[in-house]
Amino acid sequence: MQATNFPMPDLLPALPEIVVLVMACVVLLVEVYSKSRAAGYVLTLLTLLAAAGVTTFTAGPDTAYTFSGMFVDDAMADLLKLMTYLAGIAAVIYSRQYLADRDMFRGEYFALLLFAVLGMMVMISASHFLTLYLGLELLSLALYAMVALQRDSATAVEAAMKYFVLGALASGLLLYGMSMLYGLTGTLELAKMAEALNAGVKSELVLAFGLVFLVAGLGFKLGAAPFHMWVPDVYHGAPTAVTLFIGSAPKLAAFAFAIRLLVDGLQPAHGDWQQMLAVMAVLSLAIGNLAAIMQTNIKRMLAYSTISHMGFLLLGVLTGTFAGYSSALFYVVTYVIMSLGAFGMVLHLSRAGFEAENLDDYRGLNARHPWLAGVMGILMLSMAGLPPFVGFYAKLTILQALVGSGWLWLAVLAVLFSLIGAYYYLRVVKLMYFDTPHAEAMAPAPAGDARLLLSINGLAVLVLGILPQPLMALCAYAMQASLQ
Amino acid sequence: MSLGLVVLIPYLGAVLAAWVARFGRLHSAWVAALVAGLALAWLLPHAPTTFAGATVVQRLAWLPAVGLDLAFRLDGLALLFALLILGIGLLIILYARYYLSERDSMGRFYAYLLLFMGAMLGIVLSENLIQLFLFWELTSLASFLLISYWQGREEARNGARMALAVTGAGGLAMLGGFLLLGEIAGSYELSVILASGDAIRAHPLYVPMLVLVLLGALTKSAQFPFHFWLPHAMAAPTPVSAYLHSATMVKAGVFLLARLFPALSGTPEWAWLLILAGGFTLLLGAFFALFKHDLKGLLAYSTISHLGLITLLFGMGTGLAAVAGVFHIINHAIFKAGLFMAAGIIDHECGTRDMRRINGLWKYMPHTATLAMVAAASMAGVPLFNGFLSKEMFFAESVHLSAGLTHGWLLLVAVVLAGVFAVAYSLRFIHDVFFNGEPVDLPRTPHEPPRWMKVPVEVLVALCLLVGILPAVTVEPVLAMAAASVLQGPVPPHDLALWHGFNPALLMSILALAGGLLLYAARKPLFVLADRWQGRLDARALYQRLLQGLFALAGGVTRALDIGSLQRLIALFVASAVLLGAAGFLGGEAPLTGGRALLPVDGVSLLATLGLLAASLGAVALHRRRLAALILTGAVGLVVSLVFIKFSAPDLALTQLSVEVVTVVLLLLALYFLPQRTPAESGLARRGRDALLALAAGGGAAALAWAVLTRPYESIAPYFLAQSVPEGGGRNVVNVILVDFRGFDTLGEITVLALAGLGIYAMLERLQLPGPDRDAEGRPWDWDTHPAIMASLTRLLLPLALLTSVFILLRGHNLPGGGFIAGLVTAVALIMQYLANGAAWTHARLPPNLHPVIGWGLAVATGTGLASWAYDHPFLTSTFGHFDWPLVGEFELASAMVFDLGVYLVVVGSTLLILIYLGLMHGASHVLRPDEEAR
Repeated sequence: MQATNFPMPDLLPALPEIVVLVMACVVLLVEVYSKSRAAGYVLTLLTLLAAAGVTTFTAGPDTAYTFSGMFVDDAMADLLKLMTYLAGIAAVIYSRQYLADRDMFRGEYFALLLFAVLGMMVMISASHFLTLYLGLELLSLALYAMVALQRDSATAVEAAMKYFVLGALASGLLLYGMSMLYGLTGTLELAKMAEALNAGVKSELVLAFGLVFLVAGLGFKLGAAPFHMWVPDVYHGAPTAVTLFIGSAPKLAAFAFAIRLLVDGLQPAHGDWQQMLAVMAVLSLAIGNLAAIMQTNIKRMLAYSTISHMGFLLLGVLTGTFAGYSSALFYVVTYVIMSLGAFGMVLHLSRAGFEAENLDDYRGLNARHPWLAGVMGILMLSMAGLPPFVGFYAKLTILQALVGSGWLWLAVLAVLFSLIGAYYYLRVVKLMYFDTPHAEAMAPAPAGDARLLLSINGLAVLVLGILPQPLMALCAYAMQASLQ
Repeated sequence: MSLGLVVLIPYLGAVLAAWVARFGRLHSAWVAALVAGLALAWLLPHAPTTFAGATVVQRLAWLPAVGLDLAFRLDGLALLFALLILGIGLLIILYARYYLSERDSMGRFYAYLLLFMGAMLGIVLSENLIQLFLFWELTSLASFLLISYWQGREEARNGARMALAVTGAGGLAMLGGFLLLGEIAGSYELSVILASGDAIRAHPLYVPMLVLVLLGALTKSAQFPFHFWLPHAMAAPTPVSAYLHSATMVKAGVFLLARLFPALSGTPEWAWLLILAGGFTLLLGAFFALFKHDLKGLLAYSTISHLGLITLLFGMGTGLAAVAGVFHIINHAIFKAGLFMAAGIIDHECGTRDMRRINGLWKYMPHTATLAMVAAASMAGVPLFNGFLSKEMFFAESVHLSAGLTHGWLLLVAVVLAGVFAVAYSLRFIHDVFFNGEPVDLPRTPHEPPRWMKVPVEVLVALCLLVGILPAVTVEPVLAMAAASVLQGPVPPHDLALWHGFNPALLMSILALAGGLLLYAARKPLFVLADRWQGRLDARALYQRLLQGLFALAGGVTRALDIGSLQRLIALFVASAVLLGAAGFLGGEAPLTGGRALLPVDGVSLLATLGLLAASLGAVALHRRRLAALILTGAVGLVVSLVFIKFSAPDLALTQLSVEVVTVVLLLLALYFLPQRTPAESGLARRGRDALLALAAGGGAAALAWAVLTRPYESIAPYFLAQSVPEGGGRNVVNVILVDFRGFDTLGEITVLALAGLGIYAMLERLQLPGPDRDAEGRPWDWDTHPAIMASLTRLLLPLALLTSVFILLRGHNLPGGGFIAGLVTAVALIMQYLANGAAWTHARLPPNLHPVIGWGLAVATGTGLASWAYDHPFLTSTFGHFDWPLVGEFELASAMVFDLGVYLVVVGSTLLILIYLGLMHGASHVLRPDEEAR
């Protein structure tokens, strides 16, 4: 083409992504040539810190679009990206000892982690169906590989296989939905799609079909019922270091996905997707909480608890109000903090040849390691939504938003299910404090860095529970700046 | 924030108390007492203004986003409760110092107790409902810790868990109610809510809100049918029971009733819910209390009964009833705390609480006996003791209420009956324990406890008497102050005198006293009867059944959904998608077929479609025979390429054709290592289900395609058709799109292809797989034979095929063809050599290393893109020009053709790399023929 009408895109809004991309490749290359195992570890931490620096430096209330409107950098994106880096950093530090014990402390893990982070960043900043999908697939592919990282573990490979097959199906559904909406509105750009939908649609039928498949794909990514089946198997089967990662940061990206897709792009069809979200939320709450009761494996239990938490998150989104969105943002941010801590504890208590993944392994933890038991207790109580921990405010704001927009019955159901949910969290507390430990002593890995981070993690849950206002205000501010 | 400090001090004190326990176990007790005293001292300066009728509200912005300020409110009711909590708390601290044994950790006990105290103070001093709820749940947690203080005991843990489950759940329901109340009133501030009672009562959401709030209050106050947790909480150390079940925990529920009285009361719903719950509880509690042989069990049920009485009073909704309710809260707190402490002393000294064994203690501990008897008389409602006064008011209010009801006498009977039982169980407490013969087989010899252990009881008993004899002087100011803030208005005239003249209330008191005496006299046969009913009327069974039901449900859900099988997971996934799709279709309410005119059907298309159908169905039917299924799949691909031709897309058809050939060969190579047939693993029913699911999903997809294709749409094709020649210099639009308009995509695609080739190479190199040497029927595989004629012919064909591919490559820009197709044709030509001459022969004659081919291809393609930078154009901008070649004539050259060459190289390199290494692996695992082996 002769034309010179290709303006050079403004790269500044995407600078964090560029940093992470370049460094992911560097980590991959360094792994080939470097003898030092720690190089990837250090480089990954530095990369995430650098990306955090760039994001903080360029953060602001303004919304910037680039790449012909395919990529957006707004306040919500900044907040979610910062949380993603934080989750990445925590995952890397928590995992160090575990990976070293299992001969997985290699460049692949770090490179894949960085690529997954990059995928999430792209998702978070997507303002176009294609960018959204691009980020999603980059994330998913990296995660599939991470799950299968322990190649000699049959359960890990099986989990990866299931994740991959189901994930491919879900991607198919998602693309199907996207193509229908494209056929309907003639655009893939989210803002323009909202305009086109506002102007009226030619066919309600195609809109309904498109929405159905989009929401199904979204449900899969979030791990919301009835598209939740991969969650327990993958959480259970994957090496705990990977489970920690899958269980934390991708939830942020999935939340961004939901907001970009449903709010930025499909707000005019709010009435249509609201119902579907309500169904998914109720199913997630029910299945997640009920099935979690019966689990004997803590990773599996936390997997089901994730499903129920995602149900709660959906409750916030489905209200379609600003209060609902910002409380859902607050919810997902706090959930990630709690989830990091909980899986971090599982990692910390594991050592070579021993996975602290059975609930029985937590018996009498208090007698041996009162500090760790205390941190775990705080995390569990917070996940159960008990005051004065941060999990309570997360649930409270969602319930308020629900009641405020007239979804009384949903609020009552949500309260009922969180009550059932409290049972299995409290069971962990009971095991740690009231039961006598097994004869075999449980010695946590001698990782001082992880222990320090765990303490900070647990205290953060407590401090945020006593003073939630700054974070809550930040979430509201980010939502406000992004949605105007 | 002086009020906030009152709440904060116990929390800080809790940490301190736990810490100082390191330096000596009694230090904690001192610290705890100091802390409670400090909080009291901090509170008291406010008392005068509160007594004057003022309400102090202090706030600190905390969570404006949720409408939550850290706001504290001190009015009469709050002050009364705070005084009770701190005053009785101090006594309990003193008492527990002597009660706890050497083995018990003092630090832990006092830390928990102070935590609980702080939470209770938080409840009564909260101005904001959400904040109140926070402290409410904190009391549940702290009481859990206190009740389970003796962690080693099974019943302590169970009791604590049940208390937490019931009160915690009630608290959550209450939160729902509060959220609604906040929505209705527009604020969570009590000042606003208490002032907008009429608006709240008229609101359509009043009833659900009321039910939720009352659920919280009734569970906390152990009202029927939620009363069952309280007796099990008696597993706690006695100081805890004395504190929780007199002045604090269970009073939180009735506190809430009093607090929200102006906002919620006065409707039939309020009255009926509370009167029924309170009345039942009053009667049932009193009844069961008589038949408990456990000393604390008796007191537990009596507590339940008295709380029912208070609830009933608030349910009546009149001002006087509310005054009576507040009064009874005070009285009950005083005498019940004393009774629990006395019971604790008895337990402490005798080593048991079984009233069938504890008898005649008067002789061993007359001092304690006197104290306990005074408190018990107060509990029975004997004149001159404080319990009598409020009970009398209660009787009077019941008479007043029953006058307005159609079957009012029923209420009176119930009330008197409860009074009778109350007298009887109080009498039993006195007579059975202190008289009634000699003790039976006690673990320890009873004697008077340490001096200071009795002091708290003495203080409380003195209060019983003071209030009972001189009510107007002692309690009236406090009562008036508290009642004024409960009613948020003037207090109705009431008279706290001992003597009101002969009236129905006095008659009822006399009836209760006399009836109680008679009932106690006839207790023996009743005990026998009660033992027979033991456990039948226990609501705990309901709780257990509820739990079992929950577990059964959870088990069912888990069994149904938590399954490892990927097939099941996919089935569920697909079924969900189909259901969602169906819901979308039914919800869309639009016709399936759109408005676009259908194309005419011609014979050839029909035939091709039938062929496609037959091949697809055949592939499904024969899918267990893998070779046949593969061939049929190939046939499907061929028909698809015909479809492309029909819609004038020769490029696509060519590509499809060559891709089909290459993939079938690839699959054949892989099939060699697999069994010839797929075994049927699932049963008929399951296959039927899968078939149905597949039909539904496929049908749905077809319906969707139909719906979309029959609707008009705007194609982007005209743009490319119009721009192809002027912008890209080529008449073959498909190729121009590939190498020019979407050149970047193509560069990405060939990169992926190259990587895939290298990846497969990396996996296959040096891989040794055991190939089968016999087929399914057990016949040995035939050796590789390469007929000479065929080998020669294909060798002859090779140059021709290569020439064709170059031709296709070069003309691609304007006529059907292009790098991708040319690459595939070259690959097919070389594959033919493999098939006809054998892998080893051909491999020896080809460059052993295909990586450079792939690498050069990528380099050429990328270089073409980069070249445009040299001319100040964006990456991959293409150009074209017309050149004159002597003898041949003028022809066109486009930079895109160089790019196409890169595509060609990558396709040839990758395809061959994959095929060669699959083929070589095939050879490596194949059994050699004897003569081959000889070579």
